[in-house]
Amino acid sequence: MNENFKKIGFEFFSKNFDEESLNYCRTRDIFQARLDSMINVLLKDKNQKVDHIYILSAIIGEIGNNSFDHNIGSWINEPGVFFSYNFNKSNLEILLADSGQGIYNTLKKVKPEIKDDREAMKVAFYEKVSGRAPESRGNGLKFVKENIKNTGSYLEFFSGQAVIKINENEIIEETNNFYQGCVALIKKKYEN
Amino acid sequence: MKIELKKFGDMLMSRPAGKEAYLAMSAYLLRDLDKNEVIEIDFSGVKVLAPSWADEVLSKLAKEYKNIKLLNTDNASVQACLKTLRDYSDFKY
Repeated sequence: MNENFKKIGFEFFSKNFDEESLNYCRTRDIFQARLDSMINVLLKDKNQKVDHIYILSAIIGEIGNNSFDHNIGSWINEPGVFFSYNFNKSNLEILLADSGQGIYNTLKKVKPEIKDDREAMKVAFYEKVSGRAPESRGNGLKFVKENIKNTGSYLEFFSGQAVIKINENEIIEETNNFYQGCVALIKKKYEN
Repeated sequence: MKIELKKFGDMLMSRPAGKEAYLAMSAYLLRDLDKNEVIEIDFSGVKVLAPSWADEVLSKLAKEYKNIKLLNTDNASVQACLKTLRDYSDFKY
């Protein structure tokens, strides 16, 4: 797969910001239009399973829309989402990144006892909690986790100095690098 | 009362879009409807359903009305989304 695609995404908001990039979605409407476009492109590819495309699209929609829901009015750097995908006959890779508050800063407002990025990641993916309390929310990342597994996909989700890696197993680790906001890398392999 | 979700789009994602859909439903489809009326929610034609949209629409409908029926829920994304709502919210249909 194209390693450059990942490098650009991971460093988009910190080093490579380009307002003119076709992968930069400044607003939710642009993000939604590009997601719709991706669905149409993938549906034309005979290697893809239609059911998986629809579920992966819901996963991408949740992650991308979370960026807007939780950072509106409080972006750290540029507003919006980097959204890119890359596929060939055996692999599909999707990358989303934002430069927002990140999981820890979002959740510690409603759960001050959370002590670090790893704990925040665990709460976000496993506990029933809303980052926008008193609004009742907070089921999106549980949906993401379960359906990454159900579709045989792989997710690495970075925020701050933590990453959760999900395939048939789930593990949360500390990272050497600090990721402002959130970065999600989704991979799906196809059996040809 | 039957609500055909495809009339709100076939890619149903995001909370703002769900909120708008619920407001439109409330104004045009559900106005003055008895709370005991059977509400049939028809998913035929829906390709992608995400839990944030569904939470804004289905969870609110389930709170407001006592008799909810779900129709044509065979799409994989719809099934996955309904499971999440059942597992992580008060939606029990």
